[in-house]
Amino acid sequence: MQEKKAQLIAIVGAAGVVDDPQVDESFLLDHEARLSMEPHFLVRPGNVEEVQEIVQWANQTLTPLVPVSSGGPHLRGDSLPTAPESVLVDLSGMKQILKIDRRNRLALIQPGVTYSQLQPELQKEGLRVVTPLLPRANKSVIASLLEREPVMSPKYQWNLLEPLRSLEIVWGNGDKLYSGSGVFRGEKEEDWQKGMVPLLGSGPGQLDFYKFVSAARGSMGIVTWASVKCEVYSESRKLFFVPAEKLDDLIDFTYQLLKFRFGDELFILNNTGLAYVLGGTAEEIESLKNVLPAWTVIVGITGGQILAREKISAQENDIQDTARQFELKLMSEIRDCHSAELLEILLKPSREPYWKLRYKGGAQEIFFLTTLDRTPGYVDTMFTAASRHQYPAEDIGIYLQPVHQGTGCHCEFILPFRRANGHESGRLQDLFSNAALSLFRQGAYFSRPYGTWADMVYNADAGTLMAMQKVKDIFDPNHVMNPGKLCF
Amino acid sequence: MALKDFAAEMDRCSVCSYCKWIPFDQMKSWRFAKNCPSVAYYNFNSYSARGRYAVARSLLNEQSEYSDTVRNIVHTCMTCGACDVSCKVCRYNLEPLEMVRELKFSLVEAEQVLDQHEALIASLNQEHNILHKPKSERGAWADGLDVARLPSEKAEILFHAGCRLSYDEDLQKTAVSAVQLLKSMGVDVGILGEKEMCCGGRVYSMGYRDEFNHFADLNMKVWANAGVKTVVTACADCYHAFKRLYPPLGSQVEVLHMVEFIERLIQQGKLRFRSEVPMTVTYHDPCHLGRQGEPYVPWNGVEKKIKGQIIVYEPNKPRYNGAWGVYDPPRNILRSIPGVKLVEMERIREYSWCCGAGGGVREAYPEFSAWTAAERIAEAKATGAEALVSACPWCERNFMDSISATGAGLQVYDVLALVEKAL
Amino acid sequence: MTLPKHVYQAFEDVVGAVNISDDPAVLDSYRYSLAHTAIHLGPFYNTYTPRGAAVLLPGSAKEVQAIVKLCNKYRIKFKASSTFWSAQGYPSEEDTIQLDMRRMDRILELDEKNMFAVVEPGVIGATLQAEAMKVGLNTHIPGSGCSCSVLASATSYFGSGPSNLYGGCYYDNLLGLEWVMPTGEILRTGSVNSTGSWFCGEGPGPSMKGVARGFLGAKGSMGVFTKCAIKLFAWPGPKTLPVEGVIPAYKVSLPETFRAYTLAFPSWKAWADAAHLIWDTGIGYLAHRQFNMFGRDLKFAMVKILTDPTKTLGDLEEVLADPEVQRITKQSERDFQIILVGMTARDIAWQDAALDEILNRTDGWKVEAMNVPEIHDWVLLYLIRLGHKNLNLVFSGGYDGAFGLLGAMDYGAAHAEEAAQFKKTWEKRGAIVDAGGDCMMGPIGGQGGGGTGLWENFTCFDPHDRESVEGTLEFFDACTKLGLEKGWGVGMEKWNSVARGSDGRTTPKAERDRMHLSAPQPSVFRYQHKIREAFNPNDLGDAYYETLEDE
Repeated sequence: MQEKKAQLIAIVGAAGVVDDPQVDESFLLDHEARLSMEPHFLVRPGNVEEVQEIVQWANQTLTPLVPVSSGGPHLRGDSLPTAPESVLVDLSGMKQILKIDRRNRLALIQPGVTYSQLQPELQKEGLRVVTPLLPRANKSVIASLLEREPVMSPKYQWNLLEPLRSLEIVWGNGDKLYSGSGVFRGEKEEDWQKGMVPLLGSGPGQLDFYKFVSAARGSMGIVTWASVKCEVYSESRKLFFVPAEKLDDLIDFTYQLLKFRFGDELFILNNTGLAYVLGGTAEEIESLKNVLPAWTVIVGITGGQILAREKISAQENDIQDTARQFELKLMSEIRDCHSAELLEILLKPSREPYWKLRYKGGAQEIFFLTTLDRTPGYVDTMFTAASRHQYPAEDIGIYLQPVHQGTGCHCEFILPFRRANGHESGRLQDLFSNAALSLFRQGAYFSRPYGTWADMVYNADAGTLMAMQKVKDIFDPNHVMNPGKLCF
Repeated sequence: MALKDFAAEMDRCSVCSYCKWIPFDQMKSWRFAKNCPSVAYYNFNSYSARGRYAVARSLLNEQSEYSDTVRNIVHTCMTCGACDVSCKVCRYNLEPLEMVRELKFSLVEAEQVLDQHEALIASLNQEHNILHKPKSERGAWADGLDVARLPSEKAEILFHAGCRLSYDEDLQKTAVSAVQLLKSMGVDVGILGEKEMCCGGRVYSMGYRDEFNHFADLNMKVWANAGVKTVVTACADCYHAFKRLYPPLGSQVEVLHMVEFIERLIQQGKLRFRSEVPMTVTYHDPCHLGRQGEPYVPWNGVEKKIKGQIIVYEPNKPRYNGAWGVYDPPRNILRSIPGVKLVEMERIREYSWCCGAGGGVREAYPEFSAWTAAERIAEAKATGAEALVSACPWCERNFMDSISATGAGLQVYDVLALVEKAL
Repeated sequence: MTLPKHVYQAFEDVVGAVNISDDPAVLDSYRYSLAHTAIHLGPFYNTYTPRGAAVLLPGSAKEVQAIVKLCNKYRIKFKASSTFWSAQGYPSEEDTIQLDMRRMDRILELDEKNMFAVVEPGVIGATLQAEAMKVGLNTHIPGSGCSCSVLASATSYFGSGPSNLYGGCYYDNLLGLEWVMPTGEILRTGSVNSTGSWFCGEGPGPSMKGVARGFLGAKGSMGVFTKCAIKLFAWPGPKTLPVEGVIPAYKVSLPETFRAYTLAFPSWKAWADAAHLIWDTGIGYLAHRQFNMFGRDLKFAMVKILTDPTKTLGDLEEVLADPEVQRITKQSERDFQIILVGMTARDIAWQDAALDEILNRTDGWKVEAMNVPEIHDWVLLYLIRLGHKNLNLVFSGGYDGAFGLLGAMDYGAAHAEEAAQFKKTWEKRGAIVDAGGDCMMGPIGGQGGGGTGLWENFTCFDPHDRESVEGTLEFFDACTKLGLEKGWGVGMEKWNSVARGSDGRTTPKAERDRMHLSAPQPSVFRYQHKIREAFNPNDLGDAYYETLEDE
């Protein structure tokens, strides 16, 4: 122990090594009453060289590493050590915004950079980054993008990894590699002027390196910076509600907007989900749940630097017409909730406490990818499962987020629960397992297979499993990176 | 020309495979997107124009030798010319149809021939037709018709029936209708009857250049003796032979297909249709009337380069790309018949799909030929038409055979048959 | 090599006698002349890729799998190609089995709502587009044109084209894929394994699609792709293109919501500014510097010829002599084409107004001569269908791109003129077409829509003329030297020289290693080597999959 500590101190300095870090509450919010393996140390590297040295050290000592970039609470257990004698690699201190390039709409950021840190800086340059729905204020932008967390604006998602572009990766074997066009990382200002910039995500060459670290939960390597593609910031924005009593009534309308790429933010929430977004307290949520429409499409329109008002006006009218075509109404206000108020909420990270936890203090998520037209079937399945497990259906928040310009849809069920209530936790755990299995059998695609989902998914996909193991053996031959996750 | 004269083209073909598809701009579906029957059926590159360029180069450079496969590659080309049209959407200095014809000539010269073709040539030489029928019966279709028989009698216009219309009992009526119509319009028309000979066009497309030249010469002499100035035919193959292949050999007669003649009569107000023909029809463009039906333009020039490496010709070379084929006359006739509703197939005009009868394929590769016809019938049926109308007895024969073999419920007519119904 | 009888028989048992051939003439129709076009390494006069051992026409993934397993059993290299357009699709090793994928040409699924199609290798851009349009959708078509295989462009090469800007390049649009890996096992990526639906290609977990392709694909060197799903996008036009006109001057008259413009600018800076503003504003359906491939001096004259069916290339000099043609040519020196498509009338009105404002801000203009109906409608059809791409070869049958500046808009714009003037001096030597030096063409957009571009300086030559071929090679060598001097790197004229040498065969290992070691990140090729060893242990591909062994 002491020898290892000394070795780590030699890499990051004494201040960068924490003995017996407490795996605190923030790590234990997932459903699984799984015992955490207490990590031996937490190290805080300050630069890529230190990260490389840590990984090389881990290979020499065969010590498991668990990278962590975001602050808590961690809902999904991916940062929870599950192997003995692990070392947490806390990247939250690497939080420099290395460059914002307005011309090429790029931000070069370290893994500790959070949404709450990045957005205001981008705004100064006339840019913004598209975000997931209400990320935690301390959520690492890179971690979110690496996890292929859906963003609110599907139209900008040209592929499932957008807006992530070039990366600096330290693989599990300690090698450093620039993916995409990261080799043009603009170390000199003149390179930025010349356009020699890390604009591309793919490659380089004939492998797509950044795909190996995406949704890998730190099991392949550690990303030490990333370039992120930004959108143009505009003051001119409008948000609208399109409510309906049945989800089916909103599907074709949403498809039409996706097809025409009308709207910027575009997603669907059920009454409970919208209440969780809007409500500041459990009481507010309770009353909102009862008055909000059963289902609401939320669609935002963003202007731009050229003819912003004209654009907004044209799209508003067109979306209005589309809504009418489907016998729906485009509204700025529903049940005392003005869209401007929601817009204000959506443009920032989540207020504290985290929006999914406000109602009952704990929450479990079941999420997967599907297509929008299949979501009503999954909603039915979820409600049936809830009923079977005596979980109140009215507490299930549902968030449907089209992804990749509409080819797929993230379907998320938010299941709040009181962690202190053992009976409730146990019931929820059963519901979680059974509902996930039912949904999986129904064709839900658990593209980010957390926890117990991994076995379920990989058992049905031997080809991918075999390929992943080959890739893992190349980039992390000693399996030091976050062992026990996925299928490794 | 000889095959080696195409050596430059063999190198300049860019293997783009445009020759396998109808012009992309005209593509309306996955189902009817292909243009070349032989590569669509046999699939290997070598069965397309780009492949035949490569095969020709391989033979020319003695990298490969004649084989059954080579013979099949060459002789399965129907010389329908669809590749030529598609190639020339972008290219001004390639002549894939001319090349493949030259390839066929070279095989025949090297005695790389097919038994079925040889039999047909024997019939041609002996009976002056390619249907193995006695030449004495060639004029029998006109027995009983009040029509001048050249050269003993004189007429202003010669109606040339061709082998298929002369002998095919199912189709002879087209020739009869043509003559009757011409006569009813007051046209001074005559026929050669048993003295008529094969135009040679079909043996030309099989690679028998000498035989073609021989019969072209014979026909031109007969016409000269009979004082023929204008030849009218209802056969697209004969039309193409007379219109495009004879002039370089010295022919100066005016050549008209019946559909051109009839359209002219309609435009002049001489022909009016009185009877309703309630029928939805689709029209099949015969290759030799459509894309290959462009008028011959004399040219005797050389290649030159401008702007360093741009290949052009001195003087400017005429361009045969199907732009000016005979497409509208048959359609105009059909549209002017009361009750007829003309619906178009997806592949029409210069990018029409071949009937499958050309290039000696019907005779030597009957299954492939029938498949080609069936493809066209499927396309015709997809329009909802009750009848497939054409202006070439070879196309009609192949379609009729396919329909009777497959039971596809579709009628086949010559344009003239509908004209007759409408009179 | 002739395959041993029992081996040939084993392959024949898989595909059937009519779908296999080792006839020398057939095999020679599956060789590529390196005196040709877009091979990115030559040209080399009178040089061909090696003759294959046999050509097979598989009809299903199962057959492909059986073939690949036999290749492993008998240690025979294999290479699949779908449309055999590019030299990359031809083997560079002797005795390779060639797979012609054209029989597998079905569009298996067209999901109108979720906007994707599942296709086999033989499906080309034009057939997919024609079918997609029937349900109000469109497909991206790569720069190589609609004659090329959708699957091959998406999985195995690059897949960039004029519709990157709105439609997304194939890199972005590739969803799930089915891959017969070099060992014969089948890998399907993404959602299809657990859901039966192809809507997502990534995951589960880390995406193994990243093994199948990166920035570029494996160019047929790592197994065979047998299916893929491709994202589509909106087509707010008619179900079939109402094409009119006399061949080759086909044109299409589309609703008022479709506009095709040629924009021109007073400087390259203004050109790049406009490209950025178009991207920032989010307008445009496709954008490409297209007709400049004919050359700065010839482009408008060529447009005049191509839109007049009575004209031929032989009329070029006469057309060039027309003062009006000269005026337009001068006016459109620094140009590109853009098509605006409104999803609604309001949408096109807004886009049109925004474009005018962009031109206002950049001092750009619309080349009005390109807006007369017969040209406008021809441009519209040309760029939407991309069915005339072989005009690349119109002059004499040979072309390749030089420089290939790829990256941010400013990167290309900064060097375009220098590259153009360099080429102009070489044009005067006579080996290549004298077109005005600037024959730079390429898309305004790339991964993620806009923001990047590709500048390819078209160089046209006569593949039948030894002097022209050798002079072109000399020019390309000079381009590479210039590129290295200027820090642009090795240009596209030599991109494939790392894989194939001047004899059409695999580049010697020492030479490949030298090139890979001089790359900015040699470790990329080391990882590719490890992947090759893991996924292709019998090394049954060729050097188009670039590898570098550990020191």
